[in-house]
This record gives sequence, structure tokens and C-alpha cells, in this order.
Amino acid sequence: ENVLVLFQHFRGRKNRCYKLAVGSVRRAFVKSTKARREKKRFLRALWITRIEAASLEHGLKYPAFISNLVKSQVELNRKVLADLAIYEPKTFKSLAALAQRRRQEGFLAALGDGKEPEGIFSRIVHQY
Amino acid sequence: VAKTSLTSPPWPEVKLPDPVEEAKYHAEVVQKVNKMIATGQYGRLFAVVHFASKQWKITSEDLIMMDNVLEAECGDRIRMEKVLLVGADDFTLIGRPLLGKELVRVEATVVEKTESWPKINMRFWKRHNYQRKKIIRNPQTVLRINTIEIFPGLS
Repeated sequence: ENVLVLFQHFRGRKNRCYKLAVGSVRRAFVKSTKARREKKRFLRALWITRIEAASLEHGLKYPAFISNLVKSQVELNRKVLADLAIYEPKTFKSLAALAQRRRQEGFLAALGDGKEPEGIFSRIVHQY
Repeated sequence: VAKTSLTSPPWPEVKLPDPVEEAKYHAEVVQKVNKMIATGQYGRLFAVVHFASKQWKITSEDLIMMDNVLEAECGDRIRMEKVLLVGADDFTLIGRPLLGKELVRVEATVVEKTESWPKINMRFWKRHNYQRKKIIRNPQTVLRINTIEIFPGLS
């Protein structure tokens, strides 16, 4: 087989001597198969760091940004959000504003009426 | 009642703008954007499309490669329906989660249907005399995005 072509770009005697190269080629194949699965995790972490940096520029933290976007039914994935943050800054700013607005509406909804709940007479306990 | 750590929420107090004024402002913005679309005052459009279980950020004259088979011959025109976002220089239309079919139209043609380069799957356990080697070739399709059009149908 064309094994010689495979280890031309290795370092040291591995690129010339067949006996030394066999083991390195085997390890290279195994590492590449495992790396294909790790690549997905690595890229997702990269996108997340990029989105975090971009949203911090607009005054929002990453968990707030993503959760509020999802709650506003905008189903963009991290890859596209990272691309938008790099190449379309205006669009990313509008998305950050949307997330901020949804966050504030969420805070107001959590506060509710502002009245005291029924059945509680005081929060101060006097020790006698 | 005395002020405790739980009397006020940990987030700063927020005041939303007046809903009536907001509705007026929104209507104005929608009208402006509709006019811009109708008169054609946009340059290059970009769109975010959900296709082949992935999301792509595309513009016109773009090449896209998918790692699967499409049931369409080479040279067929395809209309992509799941559009999540459309944007130009001055405005973007964000879909919740999708934009309507009467608003956007994304056309693409199938350029090429090939196989990927031979990927090698190898498993090896040392000192156990175990190695398996498998060469995988995935079918791939290449699409070229012809046009992205928007129509003034906002409300």
C-alpha cells in the first residue's frame, strides 16, 4: 500500500525508517479518529467563549444572553451566533438588546404585584 | 417593616417604557423598514437558514457542502424554507423562530454530488494484538446559493 506517503511529514527518523514509522502511523490514525469526536466539543467551547466576549461588550453575561434569547423563541445555535458576532456586529447588538429587554420583563414578572403575601403578619420577631 | 436583605430584589430596579408610546414607535419602525424593502434600499442580504439539521449563515453566490445525500439531481433549483434570520446593512428581520415564507425566498442549485476524502477509522489496543482499520467515504452534496429575496410584508 502507499504507506510511504503517509509519514512524509513526520519529525525525525519516523519519516524515513519504515520500522519506526509503523507505530507512529498507527498512533496518528487512532488519534485522528478520537479527535474527530473531540473536535465537536472543542468548537462548541470556542463558540461559547466568543459569544461571551461579544455579549460582555454589550453589557450582558453569556448565561443571561443565551437564556433570554431562548425564552424569546429565537433558536439560533452557537456557531451562527459566533459568526454573527464576528461579521455582523449590528445584528449581534440588536440580539443583545432583545435579550436585555426580555431579561427586564422577566424581572418584572418575577416581582409580581409587590404586595405582601396573605397569612403573614410580621417579619419582625420579638424575643420576650 | 425594617429593611432586610430580602426586601428588595438583588437586581437593580427596572422601568419599562410606556406601552402606548412603545407601540407607536414599533409601528413607525415597521413602516420605515417596509418602505426600505419596497424601494430596495438594501445592499447584500445575508440569511441564517436551517438545512440538513445544521444552521448556516449564507449570502448569495455562496457554496455550501453537506455531509449527506440530497434527493435532487445536479442542476436542480431548491428553495430553502426554514429561514431563521435575514439581515442587510441597516435592518435585520429576526424570526421567532422561523420567518414566514411570504417574507423571504432563498434559492439554491445543486452543483456537485461527490464522496468525501477517504477518512480512516482506526482502533488499536497496545499489547493485546488488536487493531481494526476502516476507510469511510461519506457522500457529500455541494449547493450554490443563487439569491436571497425579501418581500415587504411586515405588519
